[in-house]
Amino acid sequence: MTSCRVPNRGRVDRSKSVRFTYDGKTYHGLAGDTLASALLANGVHLMGRSFKYHRPRGVVSAGSDEPNALMGTSRGPGRFEPNTRATIQELRGGLEATSQNRWPSLAFDLGSVNDRLGSLFSAGFYYKTFMWPRAFWDRVYEPIIRNAAGLGVSPTEPDADRYASRFAHTDVLVIGAGPAGLAAALAAGRSGASVMIVDETTECGGSLLSEPSITIDGKPAWDWLAAATAELASLPNVTVKPRTTAIGYYHQNLVGLAQRLTDHLAAPPEGAPRERLWRVRAREVVLAQGALETPLVFDGNDRPGVMLAGAAQTYLHRYGVKVGDRPAIVTVHDSAWFAALDLAASGAKVAAIVDVRPTVDQALTNRARALGIETLLGHTVTGSSGRLRVKSLRVNRLENGRVGASRNLSCDAVLMCGGWTPSLHLFSHTKGSLCWDDKLQAFLPGKKTEAVHIAGAGRGLWGTAAALNDGATVGAQAARATGRQASAQTYTVSGDRIGSGVTVKELSTDRKPARAKAFIDFQNDVTAKDIRLAVREGMRSIEHVKRYTTNGMATDQGKMSNINGLMIASDALGKEPPQVGLTTFRPPYTPTTFGTFAGYHQGSTFELTRKTPIDPWAEAHGAAFEPVALWRRAWYFPKSGEDIHAAVGRECRATRASVGIFDASTLGKIEVVGPDAVTFMERMYINAWAKLGVGRCRYGLLLGEDGFIREDGVIGRLANDRFHVTTTTGGAALVLNVMEDYLQTEWPDLKVWLTSTTEQWAVIALQGPNARKLLEPFVEGLDISEAAFPHMSVATCKVAGFPARLFRVSFTGELGFEVNVAARRGRALWEKLWQAGQQYDICPYGTETMHVLRAEKGYIIVGQDTDGTLTPDDAGLSWAIGKAKPDFVGKRSLSRPDMVAKGRKQLVGLLTDDPKLVLQEGAQIVADPNVPKPMPMLGHVTSAYWSDAVGRSIALAVIADGRVRDGETLYIPMPDRTITARVVKNTVFYDPDGKRLSA
Amino acid sequence: MNAMNGSLAPPTITELPPTTRISLRTADPAAVASALGIKLPVKVGVRAAAGVRTALCLGPDEWLLEVPEAESAMLAAALADLAGRMPLSAVEISDREVTLALAGRAVLDLLATGCPRDLARMPVGSGARTLFDTAQVVLTREGEDRFHLTVRRSYAPHVRALLHIAVRELEIGL
Amino acid sequence: MLLIRCPYCEQDLPELEFAYAGEAHIARPQDPSKLTDEEWRDYLFIRSNPRGHHFERWRHINGCARFFNAVRETVSDRFLLTYRAGEPRPDISGLTGGSE
Repeated sequence: MTSCRVPNRGRVDRSKSVRFTYDGKTYHGLAGDTLASALLANGVHLMGRSFKYHRPRGVVSAGSDEPNALMGTSRGPGRFEPNTRATIQELRGGLEATSQNRWPSLAFDLGSVNDRLGSLFSAGFYYKTFMWPRAFWDRVYEPIIRNAAGLGVSPTEPDADRYASRFAHTDVLVIGAGPAGLAAALAAGRSGASVMIVDETTECGGSLLSEPSITIDGKPAWDWLAAATAELASLPNVTVKPRTTAIGYYHQNLVGLAQRLTDHLAAPPEGAPRERLWRVRAREVVLAQGALETPLVFDGNDRPGVMLAGAAQTYLHRYGVKVGDRPAIVTVHDSAWFAALDLAASGAKVAAIVDVRPTVDQALTNRARALGIETLLGHTVTGSSGRLRVKSLRVNRLENGRVGASRNLSCDAVLMCGGWTPSLHLFSHTKGSLCWDDKLQAFLPGKKTEAVHIAGAGRGLWGTAAALNDGATVGAQAARATGRQASAQTYTVSGDRIGSGVTVKELSTDRKPARAKAFIDFQNDVTAKDIRLAVREGMRSIEHVKRYTTNGMATDQGKMSNINGLMIASDALGKEPPQVGLTTFRPPYTPTTFGTFAGYHQGSTFELTRKTPIDPWAEAHGAAFEPVALWRRAWYFPKSGEDIHAAVGRECRATRASVGIFDASTLGKIEVVGPDAVTFMERMYINAWAKLGVGRCRYGLLLGEDGFIREDGVIGRLANDRFHVTTTTGGAALVLNVMEDYLQTEWPDLKVWLTSTTEQWAVIALQGPNARKLLEPFVEGLDISEAAFPHMSVATCKVAGFPARLFRVSFTGELGFEVNVAARRGRALWEKLWQAGQQYDICPYGTETMHVLRAEKGYIIVGQDTDGTLTPDDAGLSWAIGKAKPDFVGKRSLSRPDMVAKGRKQLVGLLTDDPKLVLQEGAQIVADPNVPKPMPMLGHVTSAYWSDAVGRSIALAVIADGRVRDGETLYIPMPDRTITARVVKNTVFYDPDGKRLSA
Repeated sequence: MNAMNGSLAPPTITELPPTTRISLRTADPAAVASALGIKLPVKVGVRAAAGVRTALCLGPDEWLLEVPEAESAMLAAALADLAGRMPLSAVEISDREVTLALAGRAVLDLLATGCPRDLARMPVGSGARTLFDTAQVVLTREGEDRFHLTVRRSYAPHVRALLHIAVRELEIGL
Repeated sequence: MLLIRCPYCEQDLPELEFAYAGEAHIARPQDPSKLTDEEWRDYLFIRSNPRGHHFERWRHINGCARFFNAVRETVSDRFLLTYRAGEPRPDISGLTGGSE
């Protein structure tokens, strides 16, 4: 059934039929249709249910401002989208669309009971209803509200599509490819400036697509359009992007664009992205977004079949669809008269033109009457009928401001026009001011904050001639601002339809206003009386009215409701519209998918994952991994059947018994070089460095200027003027930044430079009593005996033929070495050591074993055992402070009163009374578990493990006055029980004398 | 502009073999010139070449020296000698990064998928440290349609994966 | 995303290359041990946080790696000026264009 298609009209391709389904039923449209135009062509007006009252709704607009015709669309698993605007979605073969917000069906919806109870759901309903009792907030009200909230159904499967993003830079960005935008792009493009012109619809033309009857420079509008787009396409410096919505306008002319790439294709190419986010930096921006039509507010203005007159024009001329056989027109603006004339010319029998204005341009009334159309000037509309499609309109004469007798007009569509509003959303994103124009009864752009030009209807210039000429002027201006020679051509237009009109509040009625369902925000079901109620209940600011009523908070962000809301609120407040003002427009201009914002950050490229040169070996050997900062690190190496506890226990035992091998490549490394290197180190770290000999290492501790521990690491002196600094895996960038900060801004006189070498080196740790035996045969040019190369030594040598920096260090308490070789050699060296280590039952271990082994020795991990509030003394590390140094970063803070006060949390050991029980890291510690809640908390557990070497559980904790509590029993309340544990001030649980370090 | 149509061949991505790279830091670039036989450019982004040696100015006191591996020992000796006579820092970073050569008509579009800079304005022969996606990179423009992208070793797989997605996208031409 | 002029690179470059680094012209005292607790507290924690012109530090961390100073209008989020680290606080009385 395509009875609504008009012959010889529209830009659809009548030779290409497109099959699609809507609520399971098969329909046919034409190539070039939108989903909405195809449904209208099939005589379908009912396209949704409203959000609150579940009222049947039809399509209102033909553009991105559509509040009603929102549907679920699907193209297979993982490709379902809710709230697709049927007015934007191009028809494609096989498109599956389903209506929303109804059960069991769109025509019969049980939720519409809300409509009968409408008087209960007035403005502020939620605030008034869900207040008492308080205990109901979480368990009763919230689930009810959550269940009813939300439009459409969220997809349940991961998005199967890809998304893209792109940066772009251009001289001139033109937003909107209607007559003003096209003329601007032509003027700028001809100057040689780089130009990008975007339009949110499928093709250039804008209002010209709905006005084929006018002529421009002697050419029919569509011929002129074809020539203009061909010229733009021929200019190499111009890019035209249809299906591209400017969603946000940010500082310094950065504009976000959302480009739809495949939603219109029946069979997208494999791997093609669905949408692309553009971040365009333009030297000059031209906003040529035109104007939006405002609905009229009267009882029953939301029935299916009631729509904007301009939308009906678009459906007729662009899609060749007649939206009704017997349309009635209701208007306060001339433009709707043209819709009546064009529909009559296409065979519709216009029921009447109802105009609230008492007088209208005689040329219009004469033409209407010549076509036999009844004209009702000085009339109002007070009601309508028809459940799933409008059937009649109740019309009353206005006599001296009073509403007179009514009569019913039979109709099958109502085309309304409440005037036109310049589309200034993007301009508002820039904080550009809006000025009320009394003559136009509209807000126009005021003071600019960016290099932006507004052209055509966007600044209140109505008509095609004005748009073209203004666009040309502005386009040339923009090009000149980028340093080009540009001039504006003048366009001559005949048949231009420049109309005028007035702006009104809700239409006068003879019925009780309280019973009227005169909608302002269709999607959120906000009526005129809701606005008036909000004002009566004390809302004065338009922002409060908005939030109390939800007016303008629907997915169209008030494009359709803002002006009517303002007119009615200002009437209720007794103020002029500019005194009331508009609510703030915020990006995005239209609803934008999460995928567009995610771009390439999905699936395997969701986040950057850093891997070491040895990572592939770990993967091949079955390692479990854990994320540490951006790195993935081998966590443990389970053998078949082992869980983490079994694997870690085995790795700990093997390392302490013979030798373990560990990938420490992720450690941060910074090379500090220059004659002032030692001075710099003295100032940065708490430790003394001057007397550290070349070839020796020291544990370094770095504070913030506030005196709290920020970082630690072993630092080796390679030469008088060269230090090899290591940092934690996650702290490398932070330490380098802090060091650079001091060096560049506080001590620029120091002759020392910092270079990140984290990734220059692969680092392999060999730990355990057999570490030297394993390593020794590989080392050339260095004696690594205990005497020649004791604990905390560093030297350069060759290991397995590779140039290396060898450290004699230990983070396990065992005899240990860390071999640094060039990153590309890391894997090869690891394999060689692994092979040779078989004779010693070498065991690869991961970060979990590393954590257990270091905790057994009481070595802290910054960020786990410290939390940014611990001083060196709190952590038991005051021994590291270079006592003779006059200053270092953070030193002054260590003598502030709070830093030396009693009661500070100190790092201590904690041994559970039940040795088998392993505490939970983060668990709170109290002195008395029997006091009422909230209990005073003394501190918390920072590290807790099962220790095979000690034969019991061990823990580290920060506890107020911890060290003087040595031997005290404290309590750790858990959800199921309270655990008792004893404080030990010595945090070294294993080999307290450190004999094994020098084995 | 990033004009692009589907008919262009997509760019190619090739990992280059390693070279010897030194991060050279000094407050006195003029003094280095005679010893190294290469005049260090003092404007950020400018690259100088002397035979097989190149020096790219990355910051007001920072240069990336690059020579073939065969010249490595000679350069190291010259720098060691120099370091004895003037304050400077020379740190070998040959293994820190890997370099990808990107070439093809759409190479600017390829880079525009991750780099926020206006690379069309970057002169051939110049270089810059910037970003690709969240990874810090050094880009050098080797020709109108050729760039080298140098990225930390552990970031390279991510950057390479993104580049390959973008190449596929350019191939499709949407 | 702002465009920021790096005074070392002498180019306007995307904000993504930069990192904010707090208020400018708060020099670390030559000898902190001479400061009273109150003076040290002020150095550590007290910042001006003005509505209007803010002197602040940025680092071109994904570029030339230099710290530098800037004057930014905190209402409009516009940069009036950037200058090299170590240069004195500039007189901005003659500068306009940043405020709303």
